[in-house]
Amino acid sequence: MANGWSLLVSVIFIAAFCAVAWFASPKGENQTVWRSTLILSAWSCWLMWAITFLAQWHPLIQPQRGDLRPEYNGGPVKGESFF
Amino acid sequence: MAAGKDSLFRSADMTLTQLYVANEIGREVVSALGELGVMQFRDLNPDTTAFQRTFTQEIRRLDNVERQLNYFRQQIERNGIGMRPIYDFTNNMAAPSASEIDELADRSQSLEQRIHGLNESYETLKKRETELTEWRWVLREAGGFFDRARGQTEEIRQSIDSSDDAPLLRDVEQANGSTDAPQQQSFSVMNIGFVAGVIPRERMGAFERILWRTLRGNLYMNQSEIPDPIVDPEKNEEVHKNVFVIFAHGKEIIAKIRKISESLGASIYNVDENGELRRDQMHEVNSRLQDLSNVLGNTKRTLDAELNQIGRSLAAWMIVTKKEKGVYQTLNRFSYDPARKTLVAEAWCPTNSLGLIKSTLQDVNDRAGLSVPTIVNQIKTSKTPPTYNKTNKFTLGFQTIIDAYGTAKYTEVNPGLPSIVTFPFLFAVMFGDLGHGFIMTMAAAAMIYWEKPLQRGKQDELFGMAFYGRYIMLMMGIFSMYTGILYCDIFSKELSLFPSMWQWNFPEGYDPEKDGVITASRVEGYTYPFGLDWRWHETDNDLLFSNSYKMKLSIIMGWAHMTYNLCLSYINARHFRTPIDIWGNFIPGMIFFQSIFGYLVFCIVYKWSIDWYAMGEQPPGLLNMLIYMFLSPGTINEKLYNGQGAVQVILLLLAVVQVPILLFLKPFYLRWEHNRARAQGYRGIGENTRVSALDDDDDDEGGHSAHANGRPSVESEMDGAAMISQDLDDEHEEFEFSEVMIHQVIHTIEFCLNCVSHTASYLRLWALSLAHQQLSKVLWSMTLANAFGMGGATGIIAIFVFFTVWFFLTVAVLVVMEGTSAMLHSLRLHWVEAMSKHFIGEGVAFEPFSFQLMLEEELTELK
Repeated sequence: MANGWSLLVSVIFIAAFCAVAWFASPKGENQTVWRSTLILSAWSCWLMWAITFLAQWHPLIQPQRGDLRPEYNGGPVKGESFF
Repeated sequence: MAAGKDSLFRSADMTLTQLYVANEIGREVVSALGELGVMQFRDLNPDTTAFQRTFTQEIRRLDNVERQLNYFRQQIERNGIGMRPIYDFTNNMAAPSASEIDELADRSQSLEQRIHGLNESYETLKKRETELTEWRWVLREAGGFFDRARGQTEEIRQSIDSSDDAPLLRDVEQANGSTDAPQQQSFSVMNIGFVAGVIPRERMGAFERILWRTLRGNLYMNQSEIPDPIVDPEKNEEVHKNVFVIFAHGKEIIAKIRKISESLGASIYNVDENGELRRDQMHEVNSRLQDLSNVLGNTKRTLDAELNQIGRSLAAWMIVTKKEKGVYQTLNRFSYDPARKTLVAEAWCPTNSLGLIKSTLQDVNDRAGLSVPTIVNQIKTSKTPPTYNKTNKFTLGFQTIIDAYGTAKYTEVNPGLPSIVTFPFLFAVMFGDLGHGFIMTMAAAAMIYWEKPLQRGKQDELFGMAFYGRYIMLMMGIFSMYTGILYCDIFSKELSLFPSMWQWNFPEGYDPEKDGVITASRVEGYTYPFGLDWRWHETDNDLLFSNSYKMKLSIIMGWAHMTYNLCLSYINARHFRTPIDIWGNFIPGMIFFQSIFGYLVFCIVYKWSIDWYAMGEQPPGLLNMLIYMFLSPGTINEKLYNGQGAVQVILLLLAVVQVPILLFLKPFYLRWEHNRARAQGYRGIGENTRVSALDDDDDDEGGHSAHANGRPSVESEMDGAAMISQDLDDEHEEFEFSEVMIHQVIHTIEFCLNCVSHTASYLRLWALSLAHQQLSKVLWSMTLANAFGMGGATGIIAIFVFFTVWFFLTVAVLVVMEGTSAMLHSLRLHWVEAMSKHFIGEGVAFEPFSFQLMLEEELTELK
């Protein structure tokens, strides 16, 4: 579902969002505020997401637990998710 | 200068205007401009004291009206009468005409007299009422004494027999003994006088002691407490009092007693010893009290009605008076040209508002039917215009954060604009939790939804602050929810939105007691798409992973934030047309910063992007890499990529080379430029007047001003005629190389050291987010986790109780307290780490003459 290409896709998505935000911002004296806020928010959020994604892309350590019961095998959500 | 559209990006273009206003309509013009609220009038009579100014008389008169209105307000508050709120008026208040003001002044004068009279008579009546009440008590209690005294003649006589050194009582005995038949023996016959009165209870002890000492025991005293407190009409407070009756022998002693009691604040009342007469007195007092209370009621009703009437329009009057006073104070800043009968004013206003101002003035002129137009001149000046960032209710809070640090220089990049995002976002990196963010968002949304009623209500200090920053809170809450999802935290619990990238593989017949820790294995070719994988929650090595992740996150965020802000200094240099700031400050600074910390960020990202286990290599430690990059350049212990040694040496050299560039390029360039200008025969206009002009020290820009002065001096020579009241003592400073050099040395040292310390400072993002997460985990495990462990009826009650505790603590500690601390850290990151990269400051805030602002400031207490 998610691999290295996600980074590229997300950059394109954010760039597209910024372009839309730039042109679709309501005209008037608050246009600058709209543009700056939307675009800066988009890149801040993307940066944070990208860092989180990169950190887990090639993880160096695996989760370890000593308090699981064998019945838990597979976990409460096996394979499938909410979505 | 062609004014573009004003935006929050930089402060508005300002123009210094000169107004020529016909004397007759000066008041109307200023009042109309006050409604507009876009002009800051300069004081043209700075040498005149407040008393010598033209409109001092009017201001005094308005002060008096204001005092009267305040008196009404006090009276209204004292009598607990409701006032019509100020919000019924503010919007539709047209500027008052002169006759209205006169009428108001007269009216409040007469009203004051009336209220004063009413109050006075009310107080006199009240005093009489108190006296009568006290007298009634005295009559009642003293009557009791007399009756008792009569009944106890036997006892008295006996007590006298037993103690024969009581001369006073011997008289009583003798008197009684001689005429023993009629019980109704008069005291006067016995030559015994008495004093009756009322005294505050707490003075009773002192009173008794003093009497005893001065009269050496020659008295017989009776007292009783009045059960109801008596209201003192002057101070309007309740006092407990005692009735006393003192019997003594001889006129002189009685006179002494009277004096003592009066000096101690007792009131003495006339009581007749005859029972019949006393009864008559009692009747009389009662009927007088009756009448008095009728009159009192009437007076009170009239007073209340009057105050009610005033209260209905008092707020409007106060607004009118405040406005009028503001107008005259502004008019006092104008200078008067007696030859042409005009008022001359100078004012700063946003260039974009000039049209509005002109049309407003035209309107005023038309209304007054005056043929002489009001003239608005634009003046060219070398004065620094004030900094004006027009805000709305959304941006106001953010701009306040920036302005609290310092006023930006005129038209420099305003950090308030990016801080709309960066401030709440950095906050959210520290505060990341979906649940806590949600609570904050809801609180902010509620404050925004009920904005109007909340604004009008009384706010205490803490709530007032939160309310002022409600839009900041909203942004903080929204971003916290986002970072909460990325951290995979909701009230410290995990959030399993997507299938995990880890699965637990239990060995056959796994027993946690025996087999111990098991390690999850990766789902092949799948990375958790959004945020941290929830399988990390509650693992043994959770912190190992999240600390490494959050530390790197902080470094990258800090690098991005600082780079962004460093770029703003480039925009500033472009805007102020000082290319030397680009070549001498921005570019070397940027190279220095990027070749060390940009490289670090690159390494972090590079290390993440490489699948080290697939390559079969050991991942290098980045911290050691950075340290050895400085300690032993060129030698690589753990390889990150090929050719790493050479790259690092080049980067290090690049960084080192920037230091002398930073140090010397700008000062030497400025010196060269200065010398060239001198060689061509230009001189700063300040220089020749310097001998006589006042030495002004308001400019420590050093090199800038000398450079900048070259241009305006050319202009000002051409427009010399327009510069009427111009000042030669501003902004002109001789170029002094040593000062520029020292300034630049400080800047260089600061910049280079700060690159290191500021990057480290961003690690607070990690520290606070770690603390926040751990604290919420502890809170959960101490409260709700325990409750979930219980069963049966206890469990039900425990869950209820613990939930309350948990929720209350979550809001109080995790949202309010932690939120405040994260906010302060975010504030610091903006003020210190970010703004030091580009902020020039040194601006003067624009303070327009605006009725709206004035009323907001002054009438908050009327809420």
